[in-house]
Amino acid sequence: MKTLRAILPPLIPFVAITATMEFLVREGFIRSYLLPAPSAVFLAIWNNGSELAQAMLKTSAAALIGFALSTLTGIAAAVLLSSSRWVQKAFYPYAVFFQTVPVIAIAPLLVIWFGYGMQTVIASAFVVSIFPVIANTLSGILSTDPALRDLFRLYGATPSMTLFKLRFPAALPQIFTGLRVAAGLAVIGAIVGEFIGGGGLGSVVDIARTQQRVDKVFAAVLLASLLGLALFGLINLISRITLHSWHASEQ
Amino acid sequence: MLRRAFLKTTPLLGFLASCGKSAKIRLALDWKPEPEFGGFYAAPFDKHSLEVEILPGGAGTPTVQMIGAGSAEFGIVAGDELVVARSKGNNVVALFAVYQDSPLGIMAHASRNLSSIGDVFKGGAVALQQGLPFAALLERKYGFGRVRVVPSPNGDITAFLNDEMFAQQCYITSEPLAARKKGVAVKTFPVSDTGFDPYSTVLATSDDTLRKNPAMVKSMVAAVREGWRAYLDDPKPVNEKMHQMNPSMDADTFAEVAEVQKPFIEGAPNTELGAMTKPRWDTLIGQLKDLGYIPAAIPAEECFRLL
Repeated sequence: MKTLRAILPPLIPFVAITATMEFLVREGFIRSYLLPAPSAVFLAIWNNGSELAQAMLKTSAAALIGFALSTLTGIAAAVLLSSSRWVQKAFYPYAVFFQTVPVIAIAPLLVIWFGYGMQTVIASAFVVSIFPVIANTLSGILSTDPALRDLFRLYGATPSMTLFKLRFPAALPQIFTGLRVAAGLAVIGAIVGEFIGGGGLGSVVDIARTQQRVDKVFAAVLLASLLGLALFGLINLISRITLHSWHASEQ
Repeated sequence: MLRRAFLKTTPLLGFLASCGKSAKIRLALDWKPEPEFGGFYAAPFDKHSLEVEILPGGAGTPTVQMIGAGSAEFGIVAGDELVVARSKGNNVVALFAVYQDSPLGIMAHASRNLSSIGDVFKGGAVALQQGLPFAALLERKYGFGRVRVVPSPNGDITAFLNDEMFAQQCYITSEPLAARKKGVAVKTFPVSDTGFDPYSTVLATSDDTLRKNPAMVKSMVAAVREGWRAYLDDPKPVNEKMHQMNPSMDADTFAEVAEVQKPFIEGAPNTELGAMTKPRWDTLIGQLKDLGYIPAAIPAEECFRLL
């Protein structure tokens, strides 16, 4: 009953939208070479099962590695930035660069730097997903409750103790917010990287588009969004496990 | 039933939409302003009382879909693309073929001493827009087992310049010139040597537009033909105009490409500019069916209209 109540709300719009689209395409209101019927998309997934599964595996691996790299370096960078106001002033503007860099514009350069293949795809996923990790971690670390900070100082805690026992744990909810955003971006970054560097769902989209196979394009796009959703779910799960005993957001 | 009711009201909707707005005609290009489109920029549309807006494109601009969706009355398509579109019910029709022979080719470093297109697939990397029929044809003919196939860099030659074992698909009229300019000796292999030679840079419209407004389509084709004649005779003024719109290609290259592409456009002696023949379309349709791009042959005479 409880699971039904959780599944039902998102299921209703899904069924409604799918049915409407199917109707519109079947009745000829929308031409199928512009927007495929949902049934055609599912059929394309079915007919190209192994090709799509392999592509999805490749994209998942690249997105996951890129995401893991941006998690590690992003958190480390934020901790460094939080260490002094001067460091923050000197380097934070360059972190913002990652957010504003149009990955589609630098992707061809990534190929030249890293070569064709997975390295480029990982780099692309990394570049677009690191900023939300840095920004959220930093703001989390900097917004520790001043009263608790005073308490730590009063008891003579060292700066590193304060960081690991107080500021970092207190920042976790915000860090997870950053990771949720980064997870979706890593998938986008991987797909963009694959347009240029080759492989995975990005290549499937590119090739199917060239062949005017809109059904297959949408099939690959659907799988890419499922991948983003799965990553998002994974972060939610970790967040729940880590926070549920003490933070209001996961109780 | 519902569909019929909707279709009945469409002309009315179209009429309402056209009220109060001048009938500007849109021509969608599938690439940036380059000599490949010189004749379109040179066309005397005013003289034929046409108001034409040329929409420059980029890599992957879906011109066939744009024509089908009505977001452009005319577009530049490749012959193979048009056949695939028609077989999917997107009824686009060819009016004027700028390139009589496909300028598609593979370019490799001359230092490799390759003697035929098949040699390109014996090692190293080849950048191809996979999904295009010619790539499927090359794969069938030579196999991609020994070569690393990577995505086409869409005209960028940086990777090519940096790696002797890198070959890439190109317009024979374009990238090889750029590579030579950078001091690299290249050897090009035309894809048409394999027998796959679709009309390229083809002006097309939809069956609908042709049926509803044949006079306008006829003037469009006439203007385009005059434009190409003028551009072939003297490309300079139009090159300057296009160079301003697309500064990424320098003025010298504009002049060079305009010269190199001439034989592709003029075709065999005594061919009229833009001409197309049924046997050529038949061959293409047969090849596409063979490669599995279309499930069944479609009538060649419906693919093109000479006006």
